[in-house]
Parts: sequence; structure tokens; C-alpha cells
Amino acid sequence: MSAFQPQEDTFHSKLDFALWRRLFQRACTYRKRVIILFIGAIVAAIADAAFALITKAAIDDVVLHGANALWDYAWMYVAVTTVLAIDIWFFIMYAGGLATSMSHDIRRDAFHRLQELEFSFYDTRPVGWLISRLTSDCDRLSRIIAWGFLDLVWGFCLITMISIILLVMHWQLGLIVLAALVPIIGISRYFQKQILLNSREGRKYNSQITASFNEAMMGIRTTKTLVREAENLREFQTLSQNLFAAAYKTALQSAVYYPLVMTLGALAGGLALWRGGVAVSGGFLTLGALVAFINYAGQFFNPINQIARILTEMQGAQAAGERVISLLDTKPAIVDSPEVKARMDAHKTAMANGEIPGEDAAILGLDGYPDAIETIEFRDVTFAYATGEPVLRNFNLTVHAGERIALVGPSGGGKSTIVSLVCRFYEPTSGQILINGVDYRQRSLAWLQSKLGIVLQTPHLFGGTVRENIRYGRLEATDAEVESAARLVNADGFIRALEKGYDSDVGEGGNRLSTGQKQLLSFARALIANPRIFVMDEATSSIDTETEQLIQKGLETIFTGRISFVIAHRLSTIRNATRILVIQKGQIEESGTHDALIHKRGHYYSLYTNQYKREKEETVLESAGAG
Amino acid sequence: MFKTLKIVWALLAGRRKLYFAALLCLGVSHLFNYLAPLIGSVTLDFVLSGKIPEPGTLLGWTHRLMALAGPLKDNLWYVVIGMAGLTAFGGIFAYYKGRLVSLASDGIARDLRDRLYDHVQRLPARYIDTHETGDMVQRCTSDVDTTQQFLSNQVVEIGNAVLLLGIALPLMYLIDTRMTLVSLCLILPITLFAFFYFRSIKAVFKSVDEAEGALTTVIQENLTGIRVVRAFARQEHEEKKFATRNSRYRDNQYHQLRMMAWYWSISDFASLLQLGIALFAGAYWVAGGTLTVGQLFAFMAYLGTLLWPVRHMGRVLTDLGKASVSLTRIREILDTPEETPREAPGARPEQRLAGGIQISGLRFSHGGERHALNGVGFEVRPGESLAILGPAGSGKSTLMHLLLRLYDYSEGSIRLDGHELSTLDRQWVRSQLGVVMQEPFLFSKTLRENIRLGRAEAQNEEIEAAADAAAIHSTITGFKEGYDTLIGERGITLSGGQRQRVAIARAILRNPAILILDDALSAVDSETESLILDALKKRRGQRTTLVIAHRLTTVMHADRMIVLDKGHIIQQGTHAELSQQEGLYRRLWNIQTSLEEEFAAEVLTNLAPTN
Repeated sequence: MSAFQPQEDTFHSKLDFALWRRLFQRACTYRKRVIILFIGAIVAAIADAAFALITKAAIDDVVLHGANALWDYAWMYVAVTTVLAIDIWFFIMYAGGLATSMSHDIRRDAFHRLQELEFSFYDTRPVGWLISRLTSDCDRLSRIIAWGFLDLVWGFCLITMISIILLVMHWQLGLIVLAALVPIIGISRYFQKQILLNSREGRKYNSQITASFNEAMMGIRTTKTLVREAENLREFQTLSQNLFAAAYKTALQSAVYYPLVMTLGALAGGLALWRGGVAVSGGFLTLGALVAFINYAGQFFNPINQIARILTEMQGAQAAGERVISLLDTKPAIVDSPEVKARMDAHKTAMANGEIPGEDAAILGLDGYPDAIETIEFRDVTFAYATGEPVLRNFNLTVHAGERIALVGPSGGGKSTIVSLVCRFYEPTSGQILINGVDYRQRSLAWLQSKLGIVLQTPHLFGGTVRENIRYGRLEATDAEVESAARLVNADGFIRALEKGYDSDVGEGGNRLSTGQKQLLSFARALIANPRIFVMDEATSSIDTETEQLIQKGLETIFTGRISFVIAHRLSTIRNATRILVIQKGQIEESGTHDALIHKRGHYYSLYTNQYKREKEETVLESAGAG
Repeated sequence: MFKTLKIVWALLAGRRKLYFAALLCLGVSHLFNYLAPLIGSVTLDFVLSGKIPEPGTLLGWTHRLMALAGPLKDNLWYVVIGMAGLTAFGGIFAYYKGRLVSLASDGIARDLRDRLYDHVQRLPARYIDTHETGDMVQRCTSDVDTTQQFLSNQVVEIGNAVLLLGIALPLMYLIDTRMTLVSLCLILPITLFAFFYFRSIKAVFKSVDEAEGALTTVIQENLTGIRVVRAFARQEHEEKKFATRNSRYRDNQYHQLRMMAWYWSISDFASLLQLGIALFAGAYWVAGGTLTVGQLFAFMAYLGTLLWPVRHMGRVLTDLGKASVSLTRIREILDTPEETPREAPGARPEQRLAGGIQISGLRFSHGGERHALNGVGFEVRPGESLAILGPAGSGKSTLMHLLLRLYDYSEGSIRLDGHELSTLDRQWVRSQLGVVMQEPFLFSKTLRENIRLGRAEAQNEEIEAAADAAAIHSTITGFKEGYDTLIGERGITLSGGQRQRVAIARAILRNPAILILDDALSAVDSETESLILDALKKRRGQRTTLVIAHRLTTVMHADRMIVLDKGHIIQQGTHAELSQQEGLYRRLWNIQTSLEEEFAAEVLTNLAPTN
């Protein structure tokens, strides 16, 4: 698990070209933009190099020819400036546009992939970790690809062009200036890497500081009652001091780096002035050319710095790239088999062509097999989560339509695993689960899951209105249907009491409602879906007795005529089950109706009596509170 | 704007000297960097063209200084030393500037973080309850970051712009007045353009941030609710919802890009034009003989350094706006009073509490009309154990909060060993009390460290003994890393019952004069509960224990009990007394004893309809 914590990237000493090529290929889907960007980068490099040449020409003209062509050069200057300004407009639009579009597309593909991946994928990855992959990683990689491409092309072009101009103007002098620049490349690479490593360290402390603040607020009562304020502050100060040290170190490195390369630049300029000065005295070089030499010597630093920065950033972002690519590459393990897909297509075509008689069409599911669910059978099912011991061993169970199965027993016994397998959130490690006698891997996943209604212990709502949340169960449900579902689970009363009734906003994740209210909505949502299989996983444990009594009647409506699996503590939900299974250590320990199991005086009997006492006490206490 | 600058100025308190020293270094560094072009200029004009500079001018002086080193024409390599040397000297001062600025800005940020942390811990618990944690954390982290960014980059950037103008202007003026005017003619328009442009597109930046926030929310809701999505086979619906937000984020970014593209192309065009104007005006005057090539060279070099900060002024000013928003948000936290003024902490008696509690006429309301406690009075002798029973909302937890001084009572009195609670130092009171809450908070540290929070100097054996008494020792040793297992986000997740038991171990280790268990065993099964309660009883010695619960099995162990309802005490006495009295307590007791009969009856009634 800890391997997936949002840790900082490791720094790769080598660039993985295969990885970056794959990422760059994604950019190439926008061929037009890439080409425009390529041209834009070259135009920018030419324009940047041209300014010093125009300056040289102007000075030579003034000094040698008495300024007879000054206006020409002025117009030339304005023309280059205009071209450059337009070019800047284009490459901001195109590099930025490319980055934005790429990020959008990678995110879309990754989100799509996440919708298909099975739950075991989610078991090992915290949601926060996944969110960072989809937001910051996507943005960062796309930015590096688009702007990095621009800067690399521009930088290499500019350096090449300046080098050529220098060598053509005066090759000995050109070589001297270029030689002085070699150390700048090495120094830039070194410092860029150091700065990146340091700032990453800073980010690490920064996220620890965020966690500390969070803890300070969540644990405020604990801190106060344990009188931990001073101790906590001391621990925090260590963190904030570490962050300070990392920031200071980064600042010092930048403070050394820039003056150092500036001095090297000045050295190159000075060398040009010295050797060039000798050449001018000897009449081998014009004054204008000398000025150009000095200018160019200073102009080298920027592209070198940019190239060093891009390469370092690529090294730093490599881990992010690997994560995103591996997410896109992960193949979902639970999908419709080719055979099922073919059958679905065939069924769809047959339906469209009217080849299936009306009475058959009505009873067939979208995968061409009967739509109604008569039986669900676990045959010799063994199941283990990715890491660990089998949770179920050679488990056998047959459930018929109309049955209501209550699963009870200690936590970790395998109750939730059984329902997850029914929902095909996981598939058996060995053995089979059969629906109407057919292995459910031969049925369509979408078909099965559209038959499900699930209410979980912690109700999950989506941002939006109450109405939208209930309608989530069946998107085409009418307003009347939504309201009738709410009435059936007794949610109508509190909904109407809300400021805007059914159109009230539930807030992010439903946080404007109480847990009990959220649970009522999730019952309504499951009900409106009209599922064939209804699953309730500890769904009543998060609501108080009063709310539970409210929905009890609605629950009976839901249970009628369906197959239901109920994991519960509340006796009212367990007692009326057609069959109660006591699950312990992955096995059915006891099985039967409530009365039969009570008479048996076994495990269920002791579970029941304990719970009975608890609930009675609650009732007595609450009646006192109410009375 | 002026107000913001005042806030920033206040923030610099204690470190203003560092900033001034940094600006001084920056100034010296610029001076050196500006001298280098002068050398180039002199070399171009006099050494190479053989002209004699006018004495008394800036270039004349430079020439004389350079000539001190020897005949220049034959020793041109002096120039190399001169230019590189000056830049290096400038570099050394630039380095010190960077160092000082970091010391100042990162130092201010560190102090601000420490101050916020200390302050947050001392805010009333109720303040934290009523404010959204996410927002508070953001104020303490990203708002501090924004401020720090501003302090380290932009404060100096403002100083830099002023300095550059301050140094370059006189130098330029000394070289040539006409050129100075021509060189600076577009500077003001460029600055104004930057300022107004950034101000007018603030909304665009905000819309991008908002779109990103909305996108993250959708992703988060989808991933946390993935079971619901699958259960209803709503993948397509989710992808559609996501696609809307994803493309809105992209489109808003496009919009922002377009605005930036216009800004940078216009401002770069104007800057390059400014360079061009200076170049060609200069060349014109060079041709006319009123300016030298060297002078023109120097001007071009100065202008190159001046334009950068000018183009950035717009951004500096926007950042100033952002920083002022952040600072206001930070101030809102810092200006909230702490629960106890530091100068008046209250009394700290020398002696450890014996554990006597006298409460009389206690009333408390959470601010509404109804009183959570409405005239409660009772007494607990040192060493006694008292159970408090009552339905939800009867005032049990409020009572505990008052005892711990997490809330302050206004009417009635609470005395600990005869000291009125409100006159005592909060921290002292809490150091005498131990509490375990229904949903205990554990820190993301190891299990050992979490238990040790009870008493910092406890030995490992004591920690294990406490864990054993809390019936969690065997669970802990069952983990691969035992007591060194990390809990929380980066480690393992404990169940509710396990967390409660760790918290009980922590409280046992603390060995307080008064132990309060606030529904602390609700998630523990009955057998384990009895084990723990027995262990507590054995270890009790002279400790007073208050047990708050709504389960009879928990409270039965106590010497005495009170039954609370709607802020009133409705019953009190020993188990023997209360089980004889008509009332809530007996009804609860009856459930335990008469279970068998009721049970049989219920089974029978249930059998009737089904059979």
C-alpha cells in the first residue's frame, strides 16, 4: 500500500527516450499544431539572431558609409520586430493550446480507463493518489511536451545559428567565444539538477506541513486534553525549519548559478573584445562586427539555460510519465469476453432488424440471454484479494428469486466479499458463479450491473440536486417517479422541508445533508433503479433508530420479488429474511430462518441476544429522551 | 494599493534590515554590472578608434582609470580581466542579495507557519468545529506560500526596478541627455499597459482556477463513489459529466492563453521597439558625430537590463493583489482570540488533584434557546466511580466538555478539590484529567508513539502494560511491525474498536487523577469491554472515574450512577438502589434479566404468522 502513497518522484539519471517518444506521439495527433510550433520556434530563433546582425549593419553603415542606408535598416528592424511579435502570439497560442489539448485528452483517456478498471485496482491506490495522476501529472507532462518541444527547437536553432554567424564573421574569434561557452553548458546542467532536487525536497516538507495542520485541526480535542500543545509545536518547528533549510539551499544554489554563468558570459564578451579589438586594429574586423560578437556572447546564455532546464524537468517528470502511461496501459481484468461482445452485437442487430419475435424480445437481456434472474449459484468458489489469504474457501450457495438472504457474523468473515462477488466487482479466484445456471462470465457486465441496486454503509451522493441524485438510479425516470421513490422510503418529508425541496443542492458529496438523510436518498436511488438484485451492506448502521423505522416500510417494498443480500446488525432487517447465513472464516457456519436458528441456540442465538439487548436499551433510552 | 503596501510593510517587521541589506547588495551588484559596458564602450571608442575622450565626463573618467593599468592599446587583455572581474564582483553581491532575501522571506514564512500552528492549537475547540477544516488548512499553507512567493520574488523585484532606474538613469544622463529621453520614452506606457492589462484579466485567471476546482471535484466524487457508479452501471453518464468539466477547463485555459498571447506579443513588440528607437536614434546621432559608437553600445546594454523588470511590473502588481488577499485570510485566523489569554492563564495548584468533584446549579447552552445542561448538581468523592447514563442529547458530553474546560460555563459552579474550575489554568486542569472519547483521534505516528502521548517519559514496558490492560496488546503484537506499526494515511487503518482501545491504553498510561470515558467502548464487543473495565477497576487506586455511556453493561460496574435527561438529573444512586426504583434505570435493568421470557414470547409471536 505504502508504495502508492503520493510520494515525491525519484530523479532519473537517464532519460527514457522510449517513454518520451510515446508521450510525444500523443502530441502528434495534433499534427498541424506541432508543425506550426516547429516553424514558429525556427522563426523566433532567426529573429533573435537577426537583431544583432541589424545592429552590426547599422553601426557599420554609420561608421563606414556615413549613414546612407540607416532608414533601410530601421525598417528592417521594425519588420523583424513585427514578425517576432506575431510569432510570439502564435507560439503561446499553439504551445499552450497543444499542452492544454494534450492534457485534456490524456485525462479523458485515463478517466475512461478508470471507469473500466476492476475494484482490486482501487484497493491498492488511494483516491488522492489517483486524483494527482489525473490533474497535476497530466498538466505537467503536457506542458513539458509542448513547451519543451518549442524551447528545444528554438534553443538548438538559435545556438546553431549564432555559432555559424560567429564562425563566418571571423572564425578564430568565433572559436574563442564558443570555447568559453562550453563550461556554461556543464554548469547549467549541474545547477538545474541541484535546484530541482532541492525544490522537490521542499515540496516533500510542504506536504508534511499540510498534513500537520490538518492533524492539528482534526485532533484539536486530543491535543488539548493531552496538553500536547508545546510538544506538537516543537515537532512542527522541526518540519518548518526543514522546509526553511530546503528553501534556503535552493535560493543559495540559484544565487551562485546565475552570477556564475553571467561572469562566464562577460568573460566570453571580454575575450571577444580583446581578440576582436586586435583584429579591428589590424583592419580584419569592422567595429559593428565586434559589437555583434559581444552581443552574441551574451545572447548564448538564455538558450543554454532553457535547454538545461527542459532536460532536467524531463528527468524529474519521468516518474510521472511512467505512472500516467502505465495507467493508460493497464488492461481491465473484468470485461466482457469477445464471445459475449459478439453475442451482444448479434442481439442488437437482430433486434434492430426485427428478427426476434416480440414475446422473446421482451424477455431477453441486452446480451441475448434471458433477462430475468431466477437463480444465483456459488459453486465451489474460492476467493482471495490480491495480497493475502483466501477469504472464501470452496463456498457453495444457491439463491432463488424472491429470496432475501441476511448475512451475519464477525467482521472480516467474508460477508462483504460474497456480495462483491455477486456484483462481479471481483471474480472468483477459482470456482464459478452461475446466473440461471450460466457462468456469469458469459453474461454481459453492463447487463448484470444494470440489474443491481446497492446501498452501502457510508452513503455516497454526487454534487447536484436531490432530484438528480435519486434519478441517478434510472436516468430516464420522471419527476413523479422520483418523488414516489422518495415517498416509499419516507424521504419525501425531509426533502420537502429543504429550502428548495427536490431542487435543493446537496453540496459536494452530499455534505449539506446528514448521514441519515443521505442514506434515505441512496435507498430511493436504489429503489428507482428497480433492480433484480438488491444489496445492502451495513446500510442501516449509519442511521439512528428513528430513521431506520422510517425506512423499514420502504425496505419491505424494495425486498419484495427480488433477490436481496443484506449485511446488517439491526434485527428488524435480519429477522424477516427468508434465510439467514452466519458467515465465519469464509464458510457458512449456520443457515436457516430466524426461528430455526434461535431454536438451535448456536452462534446466531448469541449474536441475536447481544444485539437484542443493545437495541432494547437504545429504545428505552430514546423513549426517555423523547418523553 | 496603499493599504496593501502597509500590510506588507508590517509583515517585514524584524527583517527589514535584511531586506535593506539585500537591496544594498543588489544596488552594488548593478553598479558593477553597469561598469562593465563602460569598459566596453571606452575600448570601442578610444582604444580602437583612437579618439581622446573629453576630460570630466563619465567616459573620460573611465578611460583615465583604465589607463592607470598601462598602455591599453598594447594590453587589450586588461579588458577581459576588467569586464569579467567587474561582473564577478557584481555576482558576489548578487549572491549575497539572494542569500539575504531568502533568509528574510523564508524566515518570515517559517515564523508565520509556526505562529499559525501555535495559534490554531490554542483556538477554542468550538471555533475549529464551526469552520471548514479544508479552508483553514489552505489558509495556513497555500496562503502562506503565496505570501512567501511574493516576499521572495516581488518585493525585491519592486526594489530592483527602482534601483535599476535609480542607477541607470544618472549614468545614462551623464553619458547623453538626448539618448536618455529617447531610451525611456516607451517605458512608462509599457508599465501602465502591463498594470491595466493584468488587472482587467484577473477574472480570466479566476475562471481557470474555478474550472480546475470543478474538474477535481467531479474526479473525486467519481473515484470515491466508484462502487455506486458501477452498481448502477453509470460509467457513460459519469464520462459525460466529466467530459463537460474537462472541456470547460480546457476552454477556459484557451481563453487565458489568448489573453496571455496578446499581452506578451504586444509588450514584447513595444519593448523591442524601444530598443530599436534607441538604436536608430543613436546611430543617427553617431552619424552626425554627436554620439560615439561606444556610448551607443553602453546605452543598448543598459536598456537591455532595464526592460526586463519593466515588462514584469504588471505581474508584480497582480501578485501584490494576490498576496494581500492571502494575508487578509491569514489575519482572520490570527486575529481570532485564543481560548485563554496568554497573560492570564489562571491558577496552577502545586498539588496533584485528589479527584473530588462538586457540581452545583450548572447551566450551559450551545447558543440556542434550549439549555444543554439546566441546573445540574452532583458530587463525586475522590476515588469514586460515577456512571452517567442518558439518551443522546441529554447533556452527557456537554458535561465532559465543561469539565475539561473545552467549553466555559456561565452559570453554576464546578469545583475540583474545592478549586473553582474557571479560576484554574486550562492546561493544568487538562493535565490532571484523562479522557477517552467515542471517536478517538490518533496521530499518524507509530502505535507506540501514540500510546506514549499519554506520558512522554513512559518506558516501553509501561506502554505494553497499558496496552495489555486495554486489551489491545495481542492485536498490536499481531501486526508485522508490532508497536512500531505506523497508523493513519501512510500506515494501517485501525477499526473503530481498535482505535478506542489504543486511546484507552493512552489514558491508562497517563494515570490521571480523574478519568473520563465518554462512550469510549461503544465499538468494543461486550466481552472485551468487561475485560477492560475489570482491568481499569484493578488499577484504579485513588483515581476518580466518570463513565458516560448508553449501554447498561458499561455503567453497571460503577459505584454510583446518575441518569440525565434533557439537561436534568432524573435519577441517581447505586445500582442496588436504582434497580429497585421505578424509572429508566430499572427498565434498562429489566432488559438484562427478563430477556429470556420476553424473548420466548417474541419468538412465539413471530412464529404465529409464518406458520
